[in-house]
Amino acid sequence: MPVAVSSDGAIPRPPLLDPRIKQLRIIAVIAVVILFYVLIPILNSTGAVSDLSINILGRYLCFAIVALGIDLVWGYAGLLSLCQAFFFCVGGYAIGMFLSLPQGGGQVQKAYNNIPQFFFFNNQSTLPDFWKPFASLPFTLAMGIFIPAVVAGIFGFFIFRSRVRGVYFAIITQALAWAAYLLFCRNELLLGGTDGLTNFYPPLQHSHAWILGLYFLTAVVLGLLYLALFKLTKSRFGRILIAIRDRELRLHFAGYKPYAFKVFAFVVGAVIAAIGGMLYVPQNGIITPGTMAVESSILMVVLVAVGGRGRLWGAIIGALVVRYAYSILSSDMPAMWSFFEGGLFIAVTLLFSNGLVGLWDELEENLRIRDSGLQLALSVIPLATVMAFVLCEALGLMPAALQHTIATPLTVMPEIPIKFILLAGILTSVAFARWLVRFIGRPRGSVIAAESRPAVEEAHA
Amino acid sequence: MIHAPMDSSASVVGTPPAYAVFLEDVTVDFDGFRALDIYRFGVFHNELRVVIGPNGAGKTTLCDVISGKTHPSGGRVFFKGMDITHRRDTDIAALGVGRKFQTPTIFPSLTVYENMDLALPGRRRVFQNIFRHESQEDTEKIYAILRRVRLLDVAHCLAGTLSHGQRQWLEISMLMAAGPELLLVDEPAAGLTDAQTALTAELLLELKGHHTIIVIEHDMEFVRRLNSRVTVLNEGQVLADGPMDQVQQDPKVIEAYLGR
Repeated sequence: MPVAVSSDGAIPRPPLLDPRIKQLRIIAVIAVVILFYVLIPILNSTGAVSDLSINILGRYLCFAIVALGIDLVWGYAGLLSLCQAFFFCVGGYAIGMFLSLPQGGGQVQKAYNNIPQFFFFNNQSTLPDFWKPFASLPFTLAMGIFIPAVVAGIFGFFIFRSRVRGVYFAIITQALAWAAYLLFCRNELLLGGTDGLTNFYPPLQHSHAWILGLYFLTAVVLGLLYLALFKLTKSRFGRILIAIRDRELRLHFAGYKPYAFKVFAFVVGAVIAAIGGMLYVPQNGIITPGTMAVESSILMVVLVAVGGRGRLWGAIIGALVVRYAYSILSSDMPAMWSFFEGGLFIAVTLLFSNGLVGLWDELEENLRIRDSGLQLALSVIPLATVMAFVLCEALGLMPAALQHTIATPLTVMPEIPIKFILLAGILTSVAFARWLVRFIGRPRGSVIAAESRPAVEEAHA
Repeated sequence: MIHAPMDSSASVVGTPPAYAVFLEDVTVDFDGFRALDIYRFGVFHNELRVVIGPNGAGKTTLCDVISGKTHPSGGRVFFKGMDITHRRDTDIAALGVGRKFQTPTIFPSLTVYENMDLALPGRRRVFQNIFRHESQEDTEKIYAILRRVRLLDVAHCLAGTLSHGQRQWLEISMLMAAGPELLLVDEPAAGLTDAQTALTAELLLELKGHHTIIVIEHDMEFVRRLNSRVTVLNEGQVLADGPMDQVQQDPKVIEAYLGR
């Protein structure tokens, strides 16, 4: 095709990153890498951080792995999948079968023919045939990836090929999650019914070496998956996923078959969830159908929503923040969790609509325009407070003074720890200040608009 | 370029190879409303054909039928002699039918450059795209087209931040990048300034001779500039066919436009 190329005007390169932002990002990446791969293992080895904290952190990193997959499927391709906990559990059950058997260190007794006890409650005195290959770890790992990939592939193929979209897709995946839950609750499946699989090798959750080792393995797998997905989303494939999210129909008329890309993304998301499950179960010590209940899949989606859709690191941060919030609140104030969960939705959508990622973007933007310390503070303070809170809780380093509780007149919550009052106080005042700043009408262009505002369009021929 | 005889509809049956697109007895019904009822409509290879008509005349439906967005209730559609009546939109696009929609349809969360990249021909399969990037050659081609349509300055801006006119051009540029054999261009001048309209006409005329083009337009000044054969649709039917000057004199056309 003849295209006239005029000699004037250099080819534009993608805009260079502001050096200060670049510096900030480099520092942040180095800090995170050192924290998770060096500092936390060292603190644990010296005894400053308990094995229990490391075990919990390791388990929550497994949820971060699942969240990465959800971000690919939902954040990039726009497919709201509500069955990721099912894929998580398929991986979990696979490794759980291996760990239940004597070859995997399972606690079996001679009185029960050296097979997991629950078989006897199902009138089964020998190991069923389909269990036998799971005595091999490589087979187990292969199945833990292969089964969810095949299920997601077949399921995705039929849904996406018939062009089922949006909320209909979400409902179908939820139905799948529910069906799978009911299936796994059946004793006839010979997977332990509602009691699930347990009685694994005890040192997995009790010896320092195993706990730290499994934590480290999880952190490394998370890091590698992050890098792989980062490359994947930056490649042409990632662009096509975003195009599917934006305007799928347009892609048909450009000759693409969006369903093929959606199936692939869905399979990748399922496999990543299963990998998370395979790392989770040894650290958790038990896997039951409750883990794949419909609510767990929804909570997994919330992890990504809070972190910020369409940014992989947001999914990881969101997973850690929400899981810790869940664990802290449900242990310290059990009655409050559902209120908090609802409040979180409202707060995120109203005040921090792009999640934690959005706060970071604001921070970078304020650093770039360099005109307002107040603006900078209003994005740094909530981000830093949440991070500091979660880190202190995660590592058991919360100052004792903040652990004290104050009596309240509320019946649902007779006493409340000072740390929550402090956290809520800081976040509420920042949210109010942000609202005030917006209300007063300081120009506060969104990051996207400011970073890539098009040149004034006019072209006189 | 093949000379287009004025009286095409009377002379042929079937799909002579000279036609890039041929519609035969095509009807489209929407809940009993007949949106399109075309006895015969053919466009030659490398011809630029303009389709005009009042609102609701079936112009966009004509595009939808050719591109596979809507399947006709009756009749047959041929592209390069192949029956594409019941093919899927993706397959028709893969055969070489490109389309620009009436309202600019671009991917707002991708940059202008990335929009162009996805439009480039080839590499439509999943595994051709995983961990792959565009080649240097692709990049040069994209920049050459963007320079031509004066979008070079905004190449790395998100397409969602573009003005209406820029979006129109981006979509036309995407068609140019894809380089399909047949271009269906629905209202390329809608909402453009005069200067922008002139450039759009220039671009289409440049593409003529290398591609078969069907342009749907309201703007008579723009149509005159294209200086091509015009088909007038009204109430789903072909009302008149011929050069602009001749068509404008046609009493049926005048009546259709000025009302009953």
